[in-house]
Amino acid sequence: MGYFTDTARALATTMRNVFRTPVTVEFPKVIRPRAVRYRASFALPDDENGEVACIGCLACERICPSRVIKMRTTGKRDSPVTGKKRNYVDEFVLDLSACIQCELCIQVCNSDAITMVREPEVPSFEREDLVLDLTKLRANAHEKTASWGRGTILQEMQEAPKAAKPAPKKVAPAAVPAAEVAPAEAAPLEKEPA
Amino acid sequence: MELASATRGKIDPHLSIYAYEAEADLMLLHFGPQHPSTHGVFRMDLHLDGETVVKATPYIGYLHRAVEKLCEKLTYVQLTPIVDKNDYVAPMSNEQALNMAFEKLLGIEVPRRARWLRTLFAELQRVASHLIWLAAQTIDLGGALGGGSTLFLHCLRERELIMDLFEEVSGARFHYNTHTIGGNRHDLPAGWGERAKAAITQIEERIHEHEAMSLHNRIFIDRMKGVGILDGALALELGITGPVLRGSGVDHDLRRDAPYHAYDELEVNVAVETAGDCLARAKVRFREMRESLRIARCAIEGMPEGPICSYKPIRQPTGVKVTAGQAYAALESPRGELGTFVIGGGDTPTCPYRLKIRSPSLHSLSAIPYIMPGATVSDAVAILGSLDPIMGEVDR
Amino acid sequence: MNGLLHGAVYGAVIASALLSVIAVGIWFERKFAGRMQSRLGPTMTGPVGLLQPVADVIKLLQKEDIVPRDADRHLFDLAPVLAVLCSLGTAAVIPFSPEVIASDLDVGVVYVLGIGGLMVIPTFMAGWASNNKFSLLGGMRAIAQSVSYGVPLVLAVLVPVTLSGTLSISGIVAWQSAHHWTAVWPVIPGLPAFVLFFMAMLAESNRIPFDIPEAESELVAGITTEYTGAKFTLFYMGEYVHTLVGSALGAALFFGGWDGPFRPGLHWMVAKTLLLFAVVYWVRWSLLRFRSDQLMDICWKWLTPIGVGLVLLAAAWVTFGGAG
Repeated sequence: MGYFTDTARALATTMRNVFRTPVTVEFPKVIRPRAVRYRASFALPDDENGEVACIGCLACERICPSRVIKMRTTGKRDSPVTGKKRNYVDEFVLDLSACIQCELCIQVCNSDAITMVREPEVPSFEREDLVLDLTKLRANAHEKTASWGRGTILQEMQEAPKAAKPAPKKVAPAAVPAAEVAPAEAAPLEKEPA
Repeated sequence: MELASATRGKIDPHLSIYAYEAEADLMLLHFGPQHPSTHGVFRMDLHLDGETVVKATPYIGYLHRAVEKLCEKLTYVQLTPIVDKNDYVAPMSNEQALNMAFEKLLGIEVPRRARWLRTLFAELQRVASHLIWLAAQTIDLGGALGGGSTLFLHCLRERELIMDLFEEVSGARFHYNTHTIGGNRHDLPAGWGERAKAAITQIEERIHEHEAMSLHNRIFIDRMKGVGILDGALALELGITGPVLRGSGVDHDLRRDAPYHAYDELEVNVAVETAGDCLARAKVRFREMRESLRIARCAIEGMPEGPICSYKPIRQPTGVKVTAGQAYAALESPRGELGTFVIGGGDTPTCPYRLKIRSPSLHSLSAIPYIMPGATVSDAVAILGSLDPIMGEVDR
Repeated sequence: MNGLLHGAVYGAVIASALLSVIAVGIWFERKFAGRMQSRLGPTMTGPVGLLQPVADVIKLLQKEDIVPRDADRHLFDLAPVLAVLCSLGTAAVIPFSPEVIASDLDVGVVYVLGIGGLMVIPTFMAGWASNNKFSLLGGMRAIAQSVSYGVPLVLAVLVPVTLSGTLSISGIVAWQSAHHWTAVWPVIPGLPAFVLFFMAMLAESNRIPFDIPEAESELVAGITTEYTGAKFTLFYMGEYVHTLVGSALGAALFFGGWDGPFRPGLHWMVAKTLLLFAVVYWVRWSLLRFRSDQLMDICWKWLTPIGVGLVLLAAAWVTFGGAG
C-alpha cells in the first residue's frame, strides 16, 4: 500500500506545480533580461573620435583557439578626423558559426577595440549571414548593448596588485574596485522571483 | 586475462556466448548509438536470453574529437575553453583540473580568494551536474512522455538558477572559460552573494519535492533497489571513483583525502552507502547535493578579499613557455576523479608536449560487462543512468 | 432494420464525437502537462495554442510512409487499423444518455470486455510485423500485460454487475440511479473495485505507470517504432480513444453515467468522462513506470486475489443485506 501513498504524494507535487507561475516565457515576444556580463555576439566600437578603435594589432587573431578572426591591415595612415597617424584595420572578418564564445579575444585587446554584445545574432537561412564583417561589427556597436567585459577591465581584474591601488585609473567613469559591475551599461540584471 | 578479484563469482566478461547454455537462441540487441537512453552516443551489444542480459559489451568512441591531440597544437593559455567541452555537464570541473595541472607545472600558488572562488564554483557545479543526473535517470525510468519528463523539467528549472548565477559572473551560461593559469578571470559582481544564497535556499526546498517524486517513491525504489550491484573491490580494481565508488561502500573522496582549492579550510562530509546498487548511488548523489549546497553557502559567507589571480593576465598566446617538466593534478568532479596529466617541453615550449585527461566516466563504463549480466533490459537502462557517464569525457 | 439503422447512425455520431473530443484532449493534455512541468505548453498555434491538434495531425499525416524491408507488409498495414477499430468498437454499448446509445445490448459488459481484449492482437501484430527487435520486445511485453490485466479488469467490472444484477451497461446505470447514482457506494466493495478498474484500465491502454510495451526510454517507441505518418496517427489516436472509452466505461459503471443529483442527461456523462480522462493524464505525467516483472507481480499477486475478494464481498452484500 506504500504505492498508493507515494503515488498520492507524487500527484500532489505535480498538482502544486500546476498552480505555480510557469518559469518559461513566450520567446520572442518576451525576452528574459540577461546578465550585464552576458556574451553573445561581437562589435567593433568606435573610439572617441568616431573612427573604428581597432588598430589591427592581430592580438585577437593570434589568441583565438578556433581561428575565426581574420584581419588585414596596411600600416599607418593619417586619420581624417584628428590628422595624426594611426593604425587602421582595413578588413576584419569574424566567423560567428565557428566561434566558441570563449571571450579570449576580448581579454587580449589592449585598446578595448573589440567587445561582446548582449544580443545574439538573428538566426538566418544563409551561412554567410553569420560571417560578420567590419561593417556589421561596427553596426553592432551602435545597435546592440555592449557586454560588461572589455580587455582593460578584464586584465585589471586579474592583475595581481603590486601596491595598494585605491581605484583603477583608466576605466569608464565612476569606476569601482574590480568586484563591481561597471556602470554606463544597460539595466542591471533583475533577478526574477522564481 | 582474468581479474583476480571478487567478481561476484560467475561473471566473466570475456565469456564466449557459445559457452552459455540458453533455453532458446540468444538475441543480439544493439543498444545502439541512436537511443533515447544511452546518455550520448554510446553503443552496447546486449545478448539477451528472453529479457535477461547474458553478456553486455560496451563500445565507445562515437564522440571522439581528438581533444588531446588538439591540446598539443594550442598554447597553454588557449586550452581552457577547449577542455570545457569534455565533461560538458560540469564545465567548471574541467577548467579547474586543467589549470591546476598547469599551476603545478609552473610552480604557481593560487591566491586565497581564487581558491575559495574555485571551491564555490565547483560545489555549485556539482549541484547542477547532479540535477542533470536525476533528470536523465528519471527520463530513463519514466519515459520522455510521462512522469520522468516532469521531474526532468523540474530539475532543469532548479539548474537554471545556478546557470543564471554563473552567467552573472562569467557571461556565459555554459562553457564559462572563467578560470585561468594562476586563478580566475572573473570576480563576483556586486550583490552576487545575496542572490546566490537566495538561489541555494530555493534549491534546498525544491530538492524535497524532487525526492518526493523519486527517492521516496516506491516505483523508483523498486526499479533501483538490488539492481546493478557493484562490488567495492571490483570498483577499486577498475579505477572507478566518485559516487559510484562511494555507493559501493568505499569511503574515498579527493576533497577530503587530498585537499585542493579551499577544502583544507572547509569541512566536507562524505556520503557513503554500502549496498552498491543503483539506489545506493542515487542516495549518495542526493546527499552530495545537499552537502554541496551547504559548502557553497559556507564559501559565500567566508569568502576572503584579495586578488583573484597570481599570474599575469592573458595578453598573448605565447605568454607561457615551459621547456621541461610534467605534472598531474586531479580533483573530485561530480563523476569522480578528473585528472589532467601534462608534459611540458618538446619542439614548441608554448604548447604542451602531451596532455592526458583522466576521465572518471570511462572507468565507470568499464564496469558494464560485470554488472549488466543478470539484469533485464529495463534494468540495463537504469544501471546506465546510475553510472552517470558523459560521453564527451569518455571519448574526448 | 430499425435497430440496425439506429445503431449505424448513432454509432457514426458517437465515433465522430469521440474523435473530435480527442482533438480537444490533445490540446488539454499538452497544456496540462506543461503546467505540471512549470512551463506554458503550446501558445503559438492559434489563441492559447488551441489549434495545436490541427498542427499535430497535419504534421503526422504529411510524413513519409516508410515500411521496413522484410517487414510483414500485410500485418504491418493492418495493425493500426485494427487498433482503432477495436477501441472505437467498445464505445458502441456505452450509454451516453438515456437515448444516445448505439446498441443497447443485454450483455454489454461481456461485449466491451471481449472487444477490448481483442486489442492484444493489433499490438502484437505491430510488434512482430515491424521486423525490429525493439518492437518485438515491446510486443511480447504487450501480450503478457494485456492478457494478464484482463483478469483484474473483469473482476473489477464484475462488482457493479453483481451489485446491480444485470450485464447490460444501461441496466447498471439505471440501478445506480436508484441507489445514490453511484456504484462506489457501498464503499466496500465499490471504491476498491473502482481503483482496481482504474489500474486495469491504465494497463490495458498501455498508460504510465503500466506503459512497458511502449516504454520510450528503453525501447525507443516499443511497438510503434517503425510506424510513421498516417499509420502512426492511427495508433496515436487509437490510444487516445482507448483511454477515452475506458474513462467513459468507468464513468458509466461506477459513477452513474448520465445521472446526477439534478437534471440528468448527456452533460453529466461528458463531465464525468472528461474528469476521469484528466485524472488518467495527471497520473501519466507524475509517475514512473514499472518493470515488466514487477507489473506481472502486481497483477497476479495483488490485484487478482483482491479482485476475487471484492466480487465475493459484492455477492455477500447482495445476498445478506444492502439494497436488494
